[in-house]
Amino acid sequence: MGFSPLVDQLLEALRVLPGVGPRTAQRMALHLLERDRMGADRLVGVLGEALERVGYCARCRTLTEEEICQLCLSPRRDERVLCVVESPADQLAIEGAGGYVGRYFVLHGHLSPLDGIGPEDIGLDALETRVRESQIEELVLATNPTVEGEATAHYIAEQLRDVNHGGQLLKMTRLAYGVPMGGELEYVDGGTLSRAFSGRLPFNLGEI
Amino acid sequence: MTPQPAFLLHRKPYRETSAMIELLTLEHGRVRAVARGVQRPGSKSRSRLQPFTPLHVTWRGESDLKTLNLMETGGSASLLAGEGLLCGFYANELLTRTLPIEMPVPQLFALYSLTLDEIALPAKRAPALRRLEYSLLEALEQLPQFRTLEDEMLAPDVRYDYVVSERRFRAQPEGARGVEGRALKLLASEDWGHVGLARESLWLARRALAPLLGNRPLRSRELMMQLTARRRESRQGA
Repeated sequence: MGFSPLVDQLLEALRVLPGVGPRTAQRMALHLLERDRMGADRLVGVLGEALERVGYCARCRTLTEEEICQLCLSPRRDERVLCVVESPADQLAIEGAGGYVGRYFVLHGHLSPLDGIGPEDIGLDALETRVRESQIEELVLATNPTVEGEATAHYIAEQLRDVNHGGQLLKMTRLAYGVPMGGELEYVDGGTLSRAFSGRLPFNLGEI
Repeated sequence: MTPQPAFLLHRKPYRETSAMIELLTLEHGRVRAVARGVQRPGSKSRSRLQPFTPLHVTWRGESDLKTLNLMETGGSASLLAGEGLLCGFYANELLTRTLPIEMPVPQLFALYSLTLDEIALPAKRAPALRRLEYSLLEALEQLPQFRTLEDEMLAPDVRYDYVVSERRFRAQPEGARGVEGRALKLLASEDWGHVGLARESLWLARRALAPLLGNRPLRSRELMMQLTARRRESRQGA
């Protein structure tokens, strides 16, 4: 049984959200209409404004309503290190992990020839301009460790291999492969384990 | 069904947590299937279901689109990196574009598996890809016949052009471009990956594959060419 065409439309519209099936959509719709009309009003307002104003940062291509995002403007970030990620979610993950103080460049995807996604679709020309025109010393290629992510990292590395700032070739690095913290070797997949093994580090006894 | 050896050719997110995949399988050729739940965060299959990794799979369903049941890795992945990866993409794009669904191609499967090992090594890339292309043409019954349009033997000193529609060769007038009958005869008897015949082999493979690919260019080949062009530029600049 449906309530009315408009309520049905609302249920249908809510299902665009990830993880929302028919039951959840129903709960959400009833909550908004029955219990929290003010909240619903705020949601409509913010969603509309965000859709209208949020675009990509002109410098790093992350999501922002400004011309240049906060992180790019922040004087406290290290100008010399640039980290290339596939998505804003990856950027948030690295920020959340802490420890990185450089800047970012967001591709919004990866090279995928079978889907027809080429270098121009993920802003690699913009990345090249950015790197060549600035004083970046290290480029961290933090694309995903999937075949497409690897191919993307390779393409960027080839594209920028001759970049030379003040007699110094651009240093390009890739995130290390490792066993997860608190994990057990027995359950780590073979590929990760073999790469973690070949990338093992000297044991550090530290200063005692 | 008993688990089938397979390789993932392509994968694309489907709905929220599933993926639409294309596989090359030992006994059933190219198979399209839905892999449920593999896009879910933390899904173990998410990282296992990668191209260039030997898999064992079972599926169910009678239509062209199957549902993947079981998937296990069947050995270690070929260690492709850099340009090797692009060659791998090329092989996958070629197969997804030309192989009909569920046409058994056991020999091509075996050769694909071998190709993945070989394209990891720069010197073996071109010959390995040529062999795969010719094996594909053979499976599709599109292999060139090394005879003239009049169904005669090729003469060693005459230059020939390939007539795709007839799968035969046309003698070229003197001075016109073409490939010598001598080289073609070698191609006919030798291994397609013959190093000394790389240029002729590439030319013939392109010509023979063209009608199967239609008007849409192969994106992975474009990508490789872009990269090669860039490298040449940067070398000249240096």
